[in-house]
Amino acid sequence: MSARNLVDYGTAVVKPADFDAFWEETLARAASIPLNATVTPVPLRSTPTVEVFEVHYDSWDHVRVAGWYCLPRQRREPLPAMVFYPGYISEPTLPKGYAAKGYATFGVAPRGKLRSNARFNPGYPGLLTYNIVDRHTYGYRGFYVDAFRVIDFLLAQPEVDGTRIGVQGGSQGGALTLLAASMCPAIAAAAAQAPYLAGMIDAIALTHSYPYEEINEYLRLHPGARDAVTETLAYYDCHNFVERIRCPIIVNIGLNDDVCPPETGYEVYRRIGSAQKQLYAYAGHGHDSNGYGHAAIVDEFFADLLRPVPVTA
Amino acid sequence: MSSATAPADFAVYWGAAMSELASLPIAAEITPNPLRSNDHAAVYDVRLTSSGPYRIFGFLTVPHGDGPFPTLLHTGGYGSVVHIGSYEDRQNYVTFALRHRGRRLADVPFAAAYPGLLTTGIANPQTYIYRGIVADCCRAFDFLAAHPAVAADKIAIIGDDLALLTAALRPQADALYTTPGFFYRAAEIAPKTGAYPWEEFNDFARAYPDQAAAMWATLAYFDPTHFAAHVRAATVMVTGNEQDMLSPAVLAPLVAAFSQPVTQVVSAHSSYKDGVAQATWLARRYGLGAPVLPAHWQ
Repeated sequence: MSARNLVDYGTAVVKPADFDAFWEETLARAASIPLNATVTPVPLRSTPTVEVFEVHYDSWDHVRVAGWYCLPRQRREPLPAMVFYPGYISEPTLPKGYAAKGYATFGVAPRGKLRSNARFNPGYPGLLTYNIVDRHTYGYRGFYVDAFRVIDFLLAQPEVDGTRIGVQGGSQGGALTLLAASMCPAIAAAAAQAPYLAGMIDAIALTHSYPYEEINEYLRLHPGARDAVTETLAYYDCHNFVERIRCPIIVNIGLNDDVCPPETGYEVYRRIGSAQKQLYAYAGHGHDSNGYGHAAIVDEFFADLLRPVPVTA
Repeated sequence: MSSATAPADFAVYWGAAMSELASLPIAAEITPNPLRSNDHAAVYDVRLTSSGPYRIFGFLTVPHGDGPFPTLLHTGGYGSVVHIGSYEDRQNYVTFALRHRGRRLADVPFAAAYPGLLTTGIANPQTYIYRGIVADCCRAFDFLAAHPAVAADKIAIIGDDLALLTAALRPQADALYTTPGFFYRAAEIAPKTGAYPWEEFNDFARAYPDQAAAMWATLAYFDPTHFAAHVRAATVMVTGNEQDMLSPAVLAPLVAAFSQPVTQVVSAHSSYKDGVAQATWLARRYGLGAPVLPAHWQ
């Protein structure tokens, strides 16, 4: 599979005419719901250098969403903040390590993740096709809002400098990174790894790996639903969001990624609106997208832009 | 406390755990899952009784055509979700993706917390949750070994420490493809890192200092070093590189504890390269020729 084919693949994703209106309405309805955030200390997970809190806030449909919030104990306020978005099957990270680097950190558990699944629990597999024939009730509608509202929470915290908020994540976390950077202007920097939920209708023809295979399975059982599925996904595809991104952003992909095909990674990167963007395309890597080697680049990228002051023991 | 030496009652402890498991019927409930089935394989939702008693879950895939087939038992990593066997593996293997107690679909009445599962009941080896989880893995093996579509002499176990422990407790396993995780010398390694899931041990020790010694003592019952000599399966062990916590040097005592040669593979930290290596090794072992690989791995 040559790099040229990967780069030039293109997309069948079409932006709906009412895409912007759909999301403006969604965000307006979400904004009418107070966060009602609670911040509870978690001594069990705290260390001599980092305090850990469990946060809950209200989101779309008044679903209560959980997250881990970590603060360096010895902090020079205001702090830059860093949001970590989770992958599809993984639980949110508890980002104490980054807090020790001088950030207020947040690991979010959007609806359906453990601790946020009391009222919405489509399961894994399951989330990707939950009400997939109806954009209004598709499972990711509230899930996306949950991810955006982390930024609202951070902006309300007195210890956070609202002009220095970064976001990052891999796979689904990479998608949520792109989406939040698109829809939350307060975000100052973003790093997306192996972004998922991008070129979804393309991806299902390129791979049989989960989670995208969930859609293929759904269509095998419901062949008549293809048009409705395609229509719904267009409202949720990163391809149709990322032209809004204005903050500095880096993206890394693996050229042998069977989960989030690199064809979709190239296309979503091409569509990013930011003038300050950089793509790292790693040959010889799959869905890991060289996260192991790329981590230092991510750390330096954020450190340069968000200027954290590391914790001293 | 070092876990370099097995507890004096190690064999008694695991003998009792296995006896308890054996006293319970498997009571398999196998339900076709048409949504996940495809042209290559049928998929089933499987529920089994394990120690406790506790109902556990697994996704079973069976290739269309005449069996019995070589079989892959995935014990999974540290998390609540284990994917169904891959589209590619389903074409040549029976696969079983285990949701042990606490994981999604096996989370009633006990729902595991992440973080949290790793230290649940850890102050006493009799109450430690992993006593039951290891039994769950063995129960999955027992189910497969009796399934008519499974070639009982061609069962490979794939996963982290749980895979190794299962291969030791079920020495009839044919192959073991293991990536050691958090149980190996935990008392020595965990304090050197702040990375989860090891950090769960550190969290527990900080929060409950009076129970820390008991925790490390419990973990000695789960150190793969004490199981390795019982493994009869052909074994591949995936290690970190020299910069990683579980480097080949750090894992050398574990390798030495096996009573037979172990093939060591240093992870490339590439899901593609590591995945191709695993698929190739398994296909070769079972005489399948070139492995079926995802398009982007070809």
